[in-house]
Amino acid sequence: MTLTRTCAAVLLAAFAGAAAVVLVTQTQIHAQAQNPAAPTPAQIPTPSRPQPPAAPTTNRSLIFLDPAHGGADSGATLGDHILEKDVTLAFATRLRSALTSAGFTVVTTRDADPSDPLTPDQRAETANRSHAAACIVLHATAVGSGVHVYTSTLEPALPEDADSSSAYVPVPWETAQASFVDQSRSLADILKTALAKASLPALTGQAPLRPLDNLMCPAVAVEIAPNAGTAAPANDSDYQQHIAFALTTALQKWRDQLAPAPASPASPVGPPQ
Amino acid sequence: MIPRYQRILFWCLAIASLLMALFLIHGCEQTREKLTRHRDQTPLAAPVETPSQTVRLALANDADGSITLVERQIALPAEPTARARALLARLIAEYSYKDSAHPLESGPAIDDVFLLDLPLPSSIAAKDKAAAPESDIAPDAADTPSAYSAAPHMPGGQLAVINLRGTFADHHPSSIESETLTIQSIVGTLFANFPRIEQVRFLVDGQPRDTLNGHAGLARTYQAVNTATAQGTAQ
Repeated sequence: MTLTRTCAAVLLAAFAGAAAVVLVTQTQIHAQAQNPAAPTPAQIPTPSRPQPPAAPTTNRSLIFLDPAHGGADSGATLGDHILEKDVTLAFATRLRSALTSAGFTVVTTRDADPSDPLTPDQRAETANRSHAAACIVLHATAVGSGVHVYTSTLEPALPEDADSSSAYVPVPWETAQASFVDQSRSLADILKTALAKASLPALTGQAPLRPLDNLMCPAVAVEIAPNAGTAAPANDSDYQQHIAFALTTALQKWRDQLAPAPASPASPVGPPQ
Repeated sequence: MIPRYQRILFWCLAIASLLMALFLIHGCEQTREKLTRHRDQTPLAAPVETPSQTVRLALANDADGSITLVERQIALPAEPTARARALLARLIAEYSYKDSAHPLESGPAIDDVFLLDLPLPSSIAAKDKAAAPESDIAPDAADTPSAYSAAPHMPGGQLAVINLRGTFADHHPSSIESETLTIQSIVGTLFANFPRIEQVRFLVDGQPRDTLNGHAGLARTYQAVNTATAQGTAQ
């Protein structure tokens, strides 16, 4: 008896579901007949253009450090048995400590001297995936004096139209930095000002240096040269510490200046940070 | 009293010495005539008096990272490629002076300069594109006009290919500033003296090279622009 009732209930539910499907389908057909111009998925082909990627959110407390050279690429020779790759690594360690103390998260391309270092393209890939607030490429030299801060030689990219903002535009690898050149130059000015306040001679300019052009973040190259005023070489620990503190102060100011990332239609709107 | 046989021997030796001296003098005369005759047959180019002219050099300064245009009076050949090569050789020579603001080692730096009319022939452009760095994000990146354009901005535009010597590149001071200033100095000097040159590319010992000496990139096409940041005085 119970089995018979259950079967009857199932059959009744199936019949009701089928009737509902038929009713909805007839309603759609009727509406389509009344308004032929109304778009339907069957009439508009699926766009073959890839959807725009979600706008990456910059982490305002994330700094990317790239101690240049490494492995067989020793860079310049700064003195007797002093190699640029060792000086940049030592300075990166000092700068990372100072930045971490100031509340930054730091991503570096190397913490030691690997036998198989990253190529410039691989360094740029690491930086672009980090979505850092600032990307800093570190170099050292025995030529010149003070601290040299360089940005890319690319011309700033033209602002996009509002209509094309939703279109997916491929980013050329060789000119990826073009969209960030203005920010990079602002960052360089802040770094130069902070270095000057710390009584460190600083120089800004533009240089055709890899991987600056491939970075999708505000990016600068910082080259440490001997301090002509104090005769301190680039590998002097006190000199490096002085520079590290000045750069940290500048990056704190840079972090404060960065506005929260604007909400994008392609990206979900989250709670304010 | 000298014995007779000794006198005979003496005169014989004296005559032999005289004959040997005459033979030697004769041989020297013949050799000199032979050399003179050979030298006379060597074709000699007629001497051409090239007047000095005013050129502008974009000189770099390491102290402030500036490029200053200065004028010099020098004699240059008329043929454009030889003229460009001589001009750049003079530019690099300026940096080997003792009081140079951008010191470089002395020695030959420029092997050749080639001036190619733009747009490049399709075969050369295809090779150039194939040699472009691969793109991970967008494969069409090599088509970006700023990087590998072969189209001139004006009719008659030229691409200058500077073939540097490997010894010059290897011994160049290794730093971002120094290498960048050297490239800007070369590009600025070409721009100031060769209005048809629109783009500049670099080779080292005839081969493409990533950097000059570890920093400034050489694997790109530089637009010939005014790189000077200041105007100097004539000397």
